[in-house]
Amino acid sequence: MEYTWPAIVSVLVVIAIELFWLKTGLFRKVTFYVSWAIILFFMVLVDGWLTKLSAPIVLYNPAENSGIRFPWDIPVEDYLFGFALITLTMLLWDRAGRGEPDDGSSRRTRILLIRRR
Amino acid sequence: MDVDRFQYLILMGLCLLITLPLEFLFGARVWRRPRRLAAALGIPLVIFVVWDLIAIARDHWDYNPQYVTGWELPFDLPVEELTFFLVIPVCGLLTLEAVRNVLNRD
Repeated sequence: MEYTWPAIVSVLVVIAIELFWLKTGLFRKVTFYVSWAIILFFMVLVDGWLTKLSAPIVLYNPAENSGIRFPWDIPVEDYLFGFALITLTMLLWDRAGRGEPDDGSSRRTRILLIRRR
Repeated sequence: MDVDRFQYLILMGLCLLITLPLEFLFGARVWRRPRRLAAALGIPLVIFVVWDLIAIARDHWDYNPQYVTGWELPFDLPVEELTFFLVIPVCGLLTLEAVRNVLNRD
């Protein structure tokens, strides 16, 4: 199960990177969870197409994953892989945007900007 | 020409197309901040390409020659995979920023 374990570890590493290093606060924000609800829906559509066993684009070695595929034929490991990829990108995006006046990282900044108008 | 070979690439193109309104109708402002975008994409791109290369080499997964172009980058990386690691994170960022803008909160 050489896909399963790295997939689990990748999620834990991304969470650790946020909690102990980047500290963007993204995991405490409602927008993160609303965004992920939307992303998950589209992830199922796109990954469902990539992995469908009737005409697969990606072929998985059954010896290297858990064999649990849901819904349709999506290997559950793909959700962990996708979470790690997209969440790490979001964290680095927020990190890179620190200090930008319009980075959305501070409500206070936005209120000040609105007042200025 | 066999259109099936472009299925993976076309799917990635559709992902970009369907998320484009987030930038221009929902005020996401991801494409319009290219330096910040590059800063966010670079490290995950390297990490996940390496993961992909190891997974291909160790036969965790493979690509159906019927649905990929066969165009390969160094280390036999299918061009579709590089596209995936650029397109999918951008879609994620567009969603995050559009949600931020619509909810008007962090």
